[in-house]
Formats: sequence, C-alpha cells, structure tokens
Amino acid sequence: MDKPDETLVMRSRDFWAAIVLITVSVFFLWKTSDIPLWGENRAGVSGSDWYNSAAIVPLFIFGGLLGLSFVLLAISIRSGGAQNALTALGIGWDKSEAYRASTIGLILLAYVVGLVPRVDFILCSGLLITALTYGYYGGHARRSLVACIAVASAGLFAFAIFPAQADWNAHGDDWFTLVLWVSLTLVVLTKAASERLLRFVPLVAILAPLILVCAMAFVFRQNVPARGGLIFKQIEYHYYVTLRPLWKD
Amino acid sequence: MDFILSQLAGFGTAFVGLAVDPLTYLYLIASVFLGITFGALPGLTATLAVTILTGFFGNKIPLDYSLIALLGAYVGAIYGGSYPSILLNIPGTAANAATAMDGYPLAKAGRGGEALGLTTTASFIGTVIGTITLLIFVWALLLVSKNIASPEKALLALFGILLSGTLMSEDLVIKGWIAGLIGLAMSMVGLDPLLSEPRYTFGWSYLMSGFQVVPVLMGAFAIPQIIDGLRHVEAGKVLALKGRILPNLRSIRRYLPTIGRSGVIGTGVGALPGVGEDVAGWVSYGVGKTVSAEGDKFGKGSLEGLLCSETANNACIGGALIPLLVLGIPGSPPAAALMGAFKINNVIPGPTIDPEIILRVVAILVLASLTMFLMGLFTARVFIKILAIPQTIFLPVVMVLTTIGSFSVGGGINDLYLMLGVGAVAYFMNLMKYPIAPLVIGVILGSLFDETFRRSLFLSDGDLSVFFSRPGAAILMVLNIGLILSQLPVAKRAFSRLKGLSV
Repeated sequence: MDKPDETLVMRSRDFWAAIVLITVSVFFLWKTSDIPLWGENRAGVSGSDWYNSAAIVPLFIFGGLLGLSFVLLAISIRSGGAQNALTALGIGWDKSEAYRASTIGLILLAYVVGLVPRVDFILCSGLLITALTYGYYGGHARRSLVACIAVASAGLFAFAIFPAQADWNAHGDDWFTLVLWVSLTLVVLTKAASERLLRFVPLVAILAPLILVCAMAFVFRQNVPARGGLIFKQIEYHYYVTLRPLWKD
Repeated sequence: MDFILSQLAGFGTAFVGLAVDPLTYLYLIASVFLGITFGALPGLTATLAVTILTGFFGNKIPLDYSLIALLGAYVGAIYGGSYPSILLNIPGTAANAATAMDGYPLAKAGRGGEALGLTTTASFIGTVIGTITLLIFVWALLLVSKNIASPEKALLALFGILLSGTLMSEDLVIKGWIAGLIGLAMSMVGLDPLLSEPRYTFGWSYLMSGFQVVPVLMGAFAIPQIIDGLRHVEAGKVLALKGRILPNLRSIRRYLPTIGRSGVIGTGVGALPGVGEDVAGWVSYGVGKTVSAEGDKFGKGSLEGLLCSETANNACIGGALIPLLVLGIPGSPPAAALMGAFKINNVIPGPTIDPEIILRVVAILVLASLTMFLMGLFTARVFIKILAIPQTIFLPVVMVLTTIGSFSVGGGINDLYLMLGVGAVAYFMNLMKYPIAPLVIGVILGSLFDETFRRSLFLSDGDLSVFFSRPGAAILMVLNIGLILSQLPVAKRAFSRLKGLSV
C-alpha cells in the first residue's frame, strides 16, 4: 500500500475514532454532573464554592477531550475520511490480520477472565504457552484456530461451570484444562519432527509457570492466583510440611 | 568546589555500600542480562522490561534491590536493542532505530564486530555522561523545585503531558494530546484526593481506590506488544558477526568529540518530560549528520552515525531520571514504569525525595553501565544466539509474567481485568497510531495535576490569576500556551516561511 492510501485509511479510521471519542466525552460530561458543582453538600461540608468541587478537573479534561475530538473529526472530514468511512478502505478490514488478532484476543480473554481466577496457574499458563507458541509460530491459520479453540473451551468451561467465587477452588476445571493441555502437547509433539523448535515447547510450558509461581509464592511471599489449584495446592502442602522443616529444624 | 566534593563523597559512600553487597551483583547480572535479552529481541522493549520487573520485584524486595533490578534492565535493554539493529536491520527497540541506518551496512561490510564493540563502548560512556549530569544537576534543580508551589506543579504536570503528546506522536500531534487526556481521565476514577468524593466508580468498590498503576502499565505496554508480536511473523536473517568485538582505542579517541556531543544531546532530550530514548537517538543522529565533516557517509555505514544514536539513547537514561527524581515527572516511558515502582514502594519522587535515594540511583546506574559494558564485550555471542529465537517462544512467557506480576501487586483478580481492559484500549490506540506513553504519563500525573490545580484555587479563593501572577507559573503558562499554539496550522506555515527565508 503506498503512502497516500495509508493516510486516507488512517483518516477514515480517525473519523470513527472521533465519533467514539465524542460519544465517550459527552457520556462522561453527563456523568460529571453527578458530582456536586455549585454549593451543594459535599464531603459533609455545605455551601462550598465552585472551585472546591471535585468536578472541576474532570470538566476541564472531558471538555478538552470533546474539543479535540471535534478537531479530529474536522481533520478527518477535510482529508476525505468521512467519504471513505463506510468503504472497505475506511474500515481497513484485512481478513487474515483480523483473524489473527481476534484469535489472540480471544485466547487472552479466556485466559485472564476464565482460567486464571479458577484454574491452577501452572496448568492454565502451560496451556496458554503451548497454545500461543503452537498457534502463532510460522503463521499457520489452522493451528491458530486449534490453539484458540483449546484455550477458549477451557476458559468457557471454567467460567460456565464455576462462575461464583465460592466454587473457584473446585478441581473439575483443572482436570479439564489438564486434558486439553496434554492433548495439545501431543499435537505439538507430532509436528515437532519437522519443526525442531516445537520440541522445546512442553519444557517451556511446564518450567516457566512453575518457576514463576513458586518464586512469587515462596521467595517473595506474595499472593498467587488460584492457590487451591490442583498442582499448586500439592506444591504448597509439601513445601510447608515436607521441605520447610528440613531447614527450619 | 566544596559542593562537588561533598557530592562525590556521598556518591562514594552509596557506591561502596552497594559494591560490597554480594546480592547487588546477583540482581545486577541477572537484570542487565534480562535487559539486553529484551532489547535484543525485536518486539520486546525497554519499557516492557522495566514494566514487567516492576510487577515482579516492585514491592517484594527491599527498594535498593528493586531499583538495581529495574535500572539494570533499563540500561541493558536500551543497549541490547543495538544487536538486531546491526545484525538484522530490525531495531530491537525504538531507541535503536537510528542505529540500524549505519549498523547494518557496517555488518554487511564485514565490520559487525567493530560496530558492536564501538556501540558497547559508546553506550557505556553515554550512560556515564547521563549519570554524571544527573548527579550534578539534580541538586540544583531540587533547590529550585523546593520553591515550586501548587500552581507551578499543576502547570508543569500539564506541560509534561502536552510535551510528551507532541513529541511522541507519529501521526497527528492532536492524537498525542488525546492520549494524554485519556490518561488524565483515567486518573480521575476513584475518590478525589481532596474531598474524598467518589468519581466514576459506577458503584464498584474496586474503583474507589482508582486505577492501580502497575496493572495500567502492564496493560498499556505489555498487552499490545504481545498481540502485535504474535500477529506479525517476522523471521529475520542474522548476519554472521565478523571481526573482533573488543573496541579499538584509536577509533574511540578519534570519535570522542562525537560521543561527548551525543551524550550531552541525549541527556538534554531525556530531561524533557515524557520524550524518551528514541527521540534522543534521532535528534543526536540528525545533529551529527549536520555538523560532521563526513555527514554524507551517514546511512551508508558510518561509525560516527552509529555512535551518535547509541551514545545518545543511553545518555537519555540519566537525563530521563532528572525530571522524575526532581519533579515526579517521568522523562521517558521506561522512567514512567520506574515511577510506578517508586509509587508501590510509597516513595514519592519530587522535591521531598530522600537525597540518599538519589545517590543510590546514581551509584546503581554506574554499576549497571559497568556490568553492561563487560557483558557486552565478553558475552556478545550469547546474545547473538538469542537473536535467532523467534518471538513466539518468548511472548507467551511474557504474558504469564505480566499476569502474575499484575496479580501479585494488588493481590486481586480485578487488577487482571483492569490490565486486560487497558491492554485492549492500548492495542486499538496503537493500531490508530495514538502514542501510548502520553496515556501512561497522564495516568501517573493525573492525581498530581488534580490535587495541585484545585489546591491553587482553594488558596486563591477561586482566582484564576494565580496561574499568571507568580513568575514561575507565568513562564509555565506561556510554555503550555506556546506549545499548543505552535501546533496550529497557521503557526506551522509561519515557521516554514521563516525557515525558507533563513536558507
């Protein structure tokens, strides 16, 4: 794509961005009206002046944002962005790019929202590392779909079966994730014959989260996600019951 | 003279205190190695290295060790970016973009070893120049900053956000300002700092304390980088390294004036709020090309061109720490991540900072640059091997690191949701060519701006002239207005006409 086209695409996208920004600014300006501005009770003090209000700076910020959004809209319209806003050029839809980005997005969403709170950190991170490496090394579209399905189904299962925080220590989703991880690892190992780099994936997928979670929990004494997870629960138990007495006593 | 001697004595004490501690070396070697690795892998940046380590070490170990880890990674990553620039023609970090212009032609001509050796030396000297400048100027500025009151602080915070937005925008300047305002808007969430009035919390108790810095940093810097790195399949061909890496002393002597000038430029650019190493590299390269007798060789494999950018980007580190330590305004994106580390350790950079911390930061920078120098000279081939490892191996591990780091700082799942949300916004902003650094600087400086702006109004009974009547405030107001006006099309046309007349 040559330079002028790229600029035109950018200006068309700017048109949409300006509309989103105007909407957001107006919404937050409206929300700012919830904050007392003129002399009402605030923080237990009545009859304050306007300059004491907590709304002053937000008004300045969202007012500024609204003003700049209109300037951006004007620049976009002047550069032909509005004319192309609804064309394929304006939307800038590249099918393969969108496919890649959306599968990665879905994997990250399933991992952070579905898996990390509920599933043992070593298991879900191992699955994530295996999926991302296998799915995006070398740019094979089908592999990224397989990777996405594996992580998304694990995340969806955990999210759907154990939505409430009270159930996050249950192990059903841990087993499900483990099965998916092992299956995906077997798929990776079948491809490893032709692609040497893939041989290291299972090793990295096990060691990286294991070292990180143990360092965080036992070296830095920090909280880690899903403490009651299938593997970490055992590690923690043996650390305090079996290992620690060896040097504590 | 007495002042300089007392400074040196204080620095010496801090330096010896750190140098006799074996743990110092453990953290130094590990963090500089990690930093160089992050720099050497295209797609992983200095900001990402410092951000991830902020999440991992931030408030879990004593502050000194935490600073060693973060500054070591910072120094290492800025230098490490020169490896792929020279051997792959892909800048490892934005700071090394100018390095590729001459580094790659040199490597193609079989002088890669010489280029790397000189780069290592220049990066070391550059860091030392920036550090010495930091040691000298920080005190003078601290004296001045003690007289800075709320109106000046508010205008300074605004200037930092505007300047960062202006200089970091690769498309329209307005996008940088919008990014800065979005960051400011994000900092408004939670209880307001003066009256504890809840703002934009939507009834969610998690938002009462506002957006936590570390998840925002992780989301803004790490998530877009991970998605982008996995989206683009780029396998570069690493050139073979020919020639010895140990630098030739005659070459260094010959280019000493260039190194000195670039060091000063880099430090100066670094001291500008929110600008950073990439701008420093290009400015120094541009100046070098203009003043050099061999300016026509720049871009064709000139050692001088290589030294211009590499000295400046490392010198920028010390410069970027000046506004951070003196005013609490980060001078570069990695410095913004460093500010996050200060914040979670309850250290408030600015006029009230403990001078001991400044001396220790200077001592750590010297130790880190020495470590980087020795590692660069004697383990360069290890890092060249790392260049061959594809991003798809590293980035998933970075994602896991980011997640556990973000979780452990606040200890809650909500921080992860925040990280992901900010990451999604930052990814789309990246796609639309909005710079991310102003957003992060806006988040960091937002509460300072809010508090000082309103305190100024409190004290003046709502009289807005408080922002003009004080000399310091008047100067800053003129700078802010001047910066905005300078970006108007009319002003730009006038500038170009003036340029035309002066040629």
